[in-house]
Formats: sequence, structure tokens, C-alpha cells
Amino acid sequence: MNATPEQRRSFSRRGFLGLTAAAASVPLLAACGGGSASQGGGGGTGGTVKFWDMPWATPAYNDAAKGIAEGFSGANGAKASYQIIQWNNFYQTFSSAIASKTGPAVSTGGGFQAFQFEQQGQIAYADKVIEKLKSNGQFDDFLPGVLDPFKSDKGYVAVPWQLDMRVFWYRKSLFEKANVALPTDWPSLLEAGKALKKVGAFGFTTGAGAGNNYANHSMIMMMVNNGGGVFNKDGELDLLNDRNVEAMEFVLELVSNGIVDPAAVSYTTDNMSAQWKDGKAGYGLFQVNVPQRVGDTSGDLLVADPIKGPHGDKATIVFPNNIMMYTNTPSQEASEEFLVYYLGQLKQLWQKKLMSALPVFKSITEIPEFADDPNNVKIVKDWQPIAKTFAAQGSKLNANLAALDGGQALNQFSQTIITGKADAKTALQTFQSGLESVLKK
Amino acid sequence: MSSTTAQSGLSRARRGVAPGGSGTGAGKRKSKLSAQTTRTFFWLLLPSVVLLVLIHGYPLIYAAVQATHDGNLLQTGNFVGGENFATVLTSPAFWKAAQFTLWFTIVGVFGSWLVGLGLALLLRTRIPGAGTFKVLLLLPWVVPIVVSSTAWNWLVATPDSLIPSLFRNLGMGTPLFLADPNLASITVMVFKVWVSFPFMMMMISAALASVDTTVYEAASMDGASRWQQFTQITLPLIARSTYISWILMTIFCVNDFPTIYLLTGGGPVNATTSLVVLAYRTVFQDFATGPGVAIAFLMTMTLVVISVILYRQIRKSSVE
Repeated sequence: MNATPEQRRSFSRRGFLGLTAAAASVPLLAACGGGSASQGGGGGTGGTVKFWDMPWATPAYNDAAKGIAEGFSGANGAKASYQIIQWNNFYQTFSSAIASKTGPAVSTGGGFQAFQFEQQGQIAYADKVIEKLKSNGQFDDFLPGVLDPFKSDKGYVAVPWQLDMRVFWYRKSLFEKANVALPTDWPSLLEAGKALKKVGAFGFTTGAGAGNNYANHSMIMMMVNNGGGVFNKDGELDLLNDRNVEAMEFVLELVSNGIVDPAAVSYTTDNMSAQWKDGKAGYGLFQVNVPQRVGDTSGDLLVADPIKGPHGDKATIVFPNNIMMYTNTPSQEASEEFLVYYLGQLKQLWQKKLMSALPVFKSITEIPEFADDPNNVKIVKDWQPIAKTFAAQGSKLNANLAALDGGQALNQFSQTIITGKADAKTALQTFQSGLESVLKK
Repeated sequence: MSSTTAQSGLSRARRGVAPGGSGTGAGKRKSKLSAQTTRTFFWLLLPSVVLLVLIHGYPLIYAAVQATHDGNLLQTGNFVGGENFATVLTSPAFWKAAQFTLWFTIVGVFGSWLVGLGLALLLRTRIPGAGTFKVLLLLPWVVPIVVSSTAWNWLVATPDSLIPSLFRNLGMGTPLFLADPNLASITVMVFKVWVSFPFMMMMISAALASVDTTVYEAASMDGASRWQQFTQITLPLIARSTYISWILMTIFCVNDFPTIYLLTGGGPVNATTSLVVLAYRTVFQDFATGPGVAIAFLMTMTLVVISVILYRQIRKSSVE
């Protein structure tokens, strides 16, 4: 281009001004977006508390939860809004929203999410909520041990609202057909599995396919059931302890005897549900409300008794799902007020039979809609007292558990075990190395 | 207008000289016009450029920052230089995923191309109901991947699924298509070919439509066999389209997350973990943002190299 010096100056000046305007508009637009999308006004000075919730059950659950949240009317005119966040990429969704100050004031979420965000200084401690729960009587209503894991040195990181527990289920008619007793310990589990195999069913139903964590949970459950676990009492990695090795050797024995479905490594949760529904699953670890989940309310699917490990231990695993508050809020008082209000309304969700988890409040376990189901009663009576978190030997939850739960290392480990591709020690060693490399970060 | 005048006009037009203008004066006007035009183009393009920089440039720069820092999605940590790349490149999981990605891409590109080519040639012949046939063949490409992966899961996942049952009834055992590492790899690749061949078929059909049929008549009169016509006429004439479709399909295969993740989740025991699945898991399951983004960067660089090589082939085929 043969532009004159004058043209070049003119162009340069205009170009510079244009680019300056464009550059200036970026933070301006960002500020507009951030400001408007952040915890907005609405209502009175209390503002609108943004509550983000996950699809914990069927869409009817979210409809009911939305109704509860939007029924909140706090002091100073505080209101609440409700938004569903899908599980896919949920951590990214929360992270990016929090980073851009457009995140929620209060949310449910991943079991260890509160601890992850606490590390980043984004969590508002719930000590004042606990004080309010003490004064309104709800504190004493918590089932034993459900609140303690959330107490950190700095305060309560979150408040539990439901217990996602893993328990053994069985199909009664298959046990009758196989003419074998319900397992009470590991040797009888092995015997029952062999008998079930003869009638075309599996005695340790699990799955490790896309998006399915049940094999992961089964492995940890068996370790914990034998007095072991991923971490020791001090929260340090301790995968190669004798109890874990023994537990995995037992699972490998189940695998080698064909008691675990050889195709289970690729099973999605839907594949697993189909097995339970189609009478292929005789016994196995699953969540609460399996009959409703798989669509079989014949009364043939029942909660089994907890089984004893070879050293007399009895335990299962539980994920105490929780509600957390964030530092980005229109009003911390409004967030706390909302959380207390929401916990007080939880009963409705179990009254409407919308939940696939246990409540954390004793009073809800006593409502007829919950207590009329003998499976629920058995879980609360026999399984809840022996339930441990992923921290197993330790009592406190922490951000490291998020790297364990659903991480690559655990998934690869459980797939290795249920395909019988390695011996217990080698698999545990690989698991330990994989987890160490992640926990370093 | 005399032919001399016409030729002169064409010549001027080619040189960009305005009619009637003298050489030097026209050159000056051209230069002035060009400067104005360039400025106009600049201002017209500026909004798009700004948007592109914001939409593509910013994430790229942010990703580069993440790849060279530790920390997580919420907080970028300290600058670590090439440490994340070193971590990734020394990890056996990365090389295993790279190996699977390579095979997945080779089978995906050439498998879908071969099937697409065969069907495009078939559709060129006069078969009854060709239109309906064409629409049906497009279905794998049209159906959302989440639906087709679920359908494939129903077909192969359990020993009682349709295809394993079929094998069993034929006395060929009960193959566990998604549970056996080798079979799962093959299944995922076959699924990719099935999903992708309609795209290839359409690309090749479009290229074939532009080929003059008289070329074949001439070749036939010269005694060329069908095979000779295919290799000496059809393939060279659709070469540009083929290279373009290979570039696109290579990018589709290397970056394909849903096909693999929805069908196998990368398992069993990482047998079907591709680089993009590994990057996803590293960032969103292990919360290791730096190494995960480093994997994505390495993938991008590889794709750029492959694309450049294939573009050179396109230019070569144009020259020829």
C-alpha cells in the first residue's frame, strides 16, 4: 500500500483510537456481565440468594426443590433463586462461575466439593448456621456422626443434607432358587456366589463402565469392610496395608470363580439396573431405593444384612452429601437464613418419595412415607451405624478425597481388579502410585 | 471493437488498469484506490477480528498460561515453565493414549473414507430408491452421538445383548465387545467408522458430481478397464476433495471425545483412552489443570503439522 505519511499518521491515530476503544470495552463488558450476573439485588436489602442444586433424582425432585427454594422469604426481603446444574463437568461449571463471581451463594454439589473450594478461600463457614440449628432443635435431630466430618479447624465447611449410602441388596427368589443362605461373612458370600452362578446369576453385581462408579465404591467398601481403607487415621495414603491386600485378594477370588460378571468392567449404571431388573443380579452393592430405581416393586429385591470381614469388622461406605455456602453472596446473613430454612423443609422431599438417599435427620427417618419401607428401616438400623466415609480410618473429610472419588487412579484400579488383570499387591501398588501423583498437586 | 482492442482490454483488466487511462496515471489511481479499499476492508474486518481475538485468542492465551503454571481451574498457581509438558511426555499413560489415538485416527479416517467411497460410487449408479437410500445412509451422521452410543451399548454391552447373542447362536462363543481391551478398541473404531462414513460419502459424492462423464466415455473408447478408470481417472479427479476430507476427519478423530467417552469411558483399563479423553480426565477428574492443558496443546500442535502436510498435498494435486 502506497499510503502517504499523512495517511499513515491518520490511519495510525484512528486505528489506535479504535483499538483503544475496543480494548476498553472488554473490561467494561466484562464488568457489566459480572455485575449483573453476580448476586443481584432483587427483593429488599437481603438480595436474592442464588441456590444451585444438582439433579439428585428424577425431574420431579428438582421441581419440588425449586418450589422449596423459591418459597424462601427472609428478613430484609431476601429471596432465593433456584438453578439446576448438571453433573457433566460440574466442577468446571462451579469453578468458572466462582472465578467470574457469577457463582451461587449456596449450593449442593460433589461430596467433597466444599473442601476443594475451601482450599481456594471461596467457602463461607457454616458455624452460625450450626448455632441456629442448635437453637431451633434441628442440631439434635442429626443422625449420629453425620455432622462431625464437616468440622475443620476453621469451622464447619458445609452442612450435610442426605446420605448416599452403599448397601448390599439381594433378590430373594434367586437365593431360594439356588437354595443357599444369605451371606453373613466373606466365606458365605463366596459360597452364595458359587450357588447363584449355577442358576445363571451373579453374586457380586457391579460395574465400571462409562460414568459408573459402583465398582470403585465396591472396592473401597470391601477394604473398609475388612478394617482397611485408602487412608490411615492420620489421613495419609495407606493402600498397601495387609487388610486391603486381603480384601482385594478376596475380590479376585470372586472374579476367578465367575461370581463377578466378566462383562461388568464395561457396565454403565443402566446396564447394572437392567441386571437387577432382569434377575441376573443375585447380590451386590448398590444405592438406596434400588427397587424404585430399577422399576421392580415386586418385593423381591431386599436389603441384605451387613457382612463380617475375616477379622470381625463390619462396615460400608457413605457419601454425606452436603450444602455449602460461598463467600460471594449478596448477604451472608441471607445465605445462612436460607440454609436454615432449606434444611427445615427437607422433610417434604422424603414425604413425596423423591429421594434415593437417606435423610440426615432422625425425624425424617420416622415419617410414615420413609419408615413404611422395610428396606429403608433396615438401612437406617443396620447399615447407617457402620457406615464410614472415603476417609475410612480418619474421621475428617478433605479435598484429597475428591481426587480419589471418581479419579483416574481409582477407576483404573477397580477395572484392573474386576477383570482379574493383576494380583492384589500389584494393583494396589499401581493405585497408590497413581493417587500419589495426583495428590501431590 | 477490434480484436487488438479486445486483447488490449483483457490485458489491462488482468493488470488491473482502468480503461482509457495511461499507464502511469492509472497506476497512481490504482494505488490510491487500493489504499482506500484496504482501509475500508480494515474497518469492515475490525469487528470480526476483535471478536475472533476475544473468542479464540483469549482462551488460547489463557490455555497457554494454564499449561505453563500449576494450580487449578479456579486459581492459576506458580509459573512452572515446561514442567507440565515434561510430566505429560514422561507419562506412560500419555504414550498409551497417543498410540490408541493414532490407531483410532488411522482406522477412522481410512475406514470411513473407504466405506464412503464405496457407497458414493454405488449411489452414482442407477439403483431404484437411491434418494431414500441416501437419506438412510445419512442417519448415523445425523443422529446425536449420545443416542447412537446408547444404541450401540444396547447392542454389544452385555453377554445377552443382540450381537453377542448372535455370535453365541452361531457357535462363535460370547464375545465381550466392551469388556475385552482388544475388542473394545476395535468396537470403538468400528463405531467411529459407522458414525463418520456418511460425511465422507457426501464429500465424495459432491466431488464425483463435478467429474465430466465424457472423460469415462473417452477412456472406455481407448480401452481402459473399469479398474483403470477408477485408479487413473476417478481417484485423481477427486484427490483434492479426498485430501480435504482427510484433514477434516483427522481433526474429528483426534478431537473426538463423545464417541469414546460415551461408549467405553476410556476403558477397560485405559484400553480406549485417547488423548482427548486423557486430557479431560486429567483436568476434570484429577483436577490437574496444567498437565491436562499441556496434553491439549500437544494435540493441537500435532494436528497443525498433519494439516500442513495434507494441505501441501492439496496444492500439489491442484498443480498436477
